[in-house]
Amino acid sequence: MRTDSLRTVSWRTDSWRTERWLIGLGKAAAVAAILLWSLFPILFIAVSSLKPGQDIFAVPPKWIFTPTLKHYAELWRSWGVFFDALLNSLLITVGATLLAIVASTCAGYVYSRHSGRWFGASIAGLIIVRLIPPIVVTLPLFPIVNTLGLNDTHLVLILLYATFFVSLGTVLMRTFMDQIPRELDEAASIDGASRLTILRKVIVPLAMPGVLAVAVFVIVFSWNEFLFAFVFTATRAKTAPLVISEMIGSIDGVDWGILFAASTVQLVPVLLFVVFMNRYLVAGLTAGSTKG
Amino acid sequence: MQLRTTARLLPLLAPVHLLILSVIVLPSLYVVWLSLNMSSFGQAPSFVGLQNYVRVLADPAFHHALLNTVVLVVVAVHLELAIGLGMALLFASGLPFRRFLLVAVLAPYAVSEVTAVVMWRFLFDPDAGPITLALRALNLPTLDWSFEPSHAMTLIGLLTIWLHLPFTFVIVYAARLAIPAELYEAARIDGATRWQAFRRVTLPLLAPAMLIALLFRYIFAFRLFSEAWLLTKGGPARSTEVVAIYLYQEAFSFNAFGPAAATAWIMVVISLVLAGAYVVLLRRGGLTHAH
Repeated sequence: MRTDSLRTVSWRTDSWRTERWLIGLGKAAAVAAILLWSLFPILFIAVSSLKPGQDIFAVPPKWIFTPTLKHYAELWRSWGVFFDALLNSLLITVGATLLAIVASTCAGYVYSRHSGRWFGASIAGLIIVRLIPPIVVTLPLFPIVNTLGLNDTHLVLILLYATFFVSLGTVLMRTFMDQIPRELDEAASIDGASRLTILRKVIVPLAMPGVLAVAVFVIVFSWNEFLFAFVFTATRAKTAPLVISEMIGSIDGVDWGILFAASTVQLVPVLLFVVFMNRYLVAGLTAGSTKG
Repeated sequence: MQLRTTARLLPLLAPVHLLILSVIVLPSLYVVWLSLNMSSFGQAPSFVGLQNYVRVLADPAFHHALLNTVVLVVVAVHLELAIGLGMALLFASGLPFRRFLLVAVLAPYAVSEVTAVVMWRFLFDPDAGPITLALRALNLPTLDWSFEPSHAMTLIGLLTIWLHLPFTFVIVYAARLAIPAELYEAARIDGATRWQAFRRVTLPLLAPAMLIALLFRYIFAFRLFSEAWLLTKGGPARSTEVVAIYLYQEAFSFNAFGPAAATAWIMVVISLVLAGAYVVLLRRGGLTHAH
């Protein structure tokens, strides 16, 4: 049986060579298509933001031009609110990330070290509740937030963004902490360390990849989120995506140069972040793929 | 003893559960009550039973929004899975510069919906968009998304696939990497062709991960709001509304909190049915995944 198939293989060597060559060619084409699909839109706005006005609309598109920071200067002059919004986005992202990390780490630790019917049910509940569409909660929260005077504050977005990631955060932290031997907690506990000290000094340093994975998710989400910002903020706590959306819809027609500049400024920091943290993003996306 | 342990654990569990309860669970329950009442901003609610649900379910605008959403979910998500699967198999077959390519593929994950809309709006701009111009130069049909509802839906679909492909790809790719190479060797020794190996080894072993990715993407595509809102605001004449936009319009443009709340619960129920399927899979296959 085996020798038989080997003979067939050597018989086919010639056609195999052609086939391999064709496969190589197909792969190269596929890789080119993937790069074009993923990167072209991003590169396109970043490059266009540096083009002098008329070159943006040149037919065929101009790839060689004298770069200018004109649109960025114009953005600074006429859309100062965009830079305030960037600062708001930064504050809200940092706040939501810290809150989500602290909350998920504490809960993840409990879920990792204790099991039982109630723990299993409550973590399943956490995941399921997270699947409720965010727009559903805007409806009842809108009057509540208004009554509490929290409308248009950083706090309301921090709370919302953190909440929508603590379920995932808890599951991720539990998965990462499951890999830390319990003997370490026990040893520390015999040495007289309190639960919080164990968590801080022993578990968290070892679960750092989990903390970073959670951070990647919350940071990318909070920095980019549109719906909650759109519903719950108006002026003081407006975030960068919201201001960009106003630029898209501005009455004077769209000024593409300024829009490209603003989009680039909003995009580049988080893009660099994802590029450097891609290991944790992938780890976070796949870490869930263990026992529930 | 048991009670004391629970009491000691409570402070550690409290932050997560308080956030979830106060921001998601209680408001969602309040939505149930709201959906059974006729109310508007600054107006005392009056109990109307299931009237809001009847009104929403009979509203042609809702039917249209639901149809748009279902078409988007079905077409875009399956297309996305097919592309993600193809890409995962390509990556697994061995590529040079894999590290760099992986980062390139993940890049759209970092892009906000707003920025993605800026990109795709310009690329497909009916007058100056490079893709429109390229299509026209090749004598191919272009997308008239600002007038033609079906074209606008196509663009929304493209946008949402672009934004979420990294997620689908990573899930399928990770599952593909987990298949031991010995299985393929065994298949080859048994004389299986590439196609047979794919049908009999790859596909069945990837099925659980693909199902998980699908369910998550169904749930997330079903709530799609920003892409459609930023591209068309649901127009022209409510023709590109999706369910989330219908809800938003009812609540915040028409101040009809009751029908909006009824829509919200229709969304919740559909999402929970999908989530239920996920939990069943999770119990059976021991696979969990979170977005």
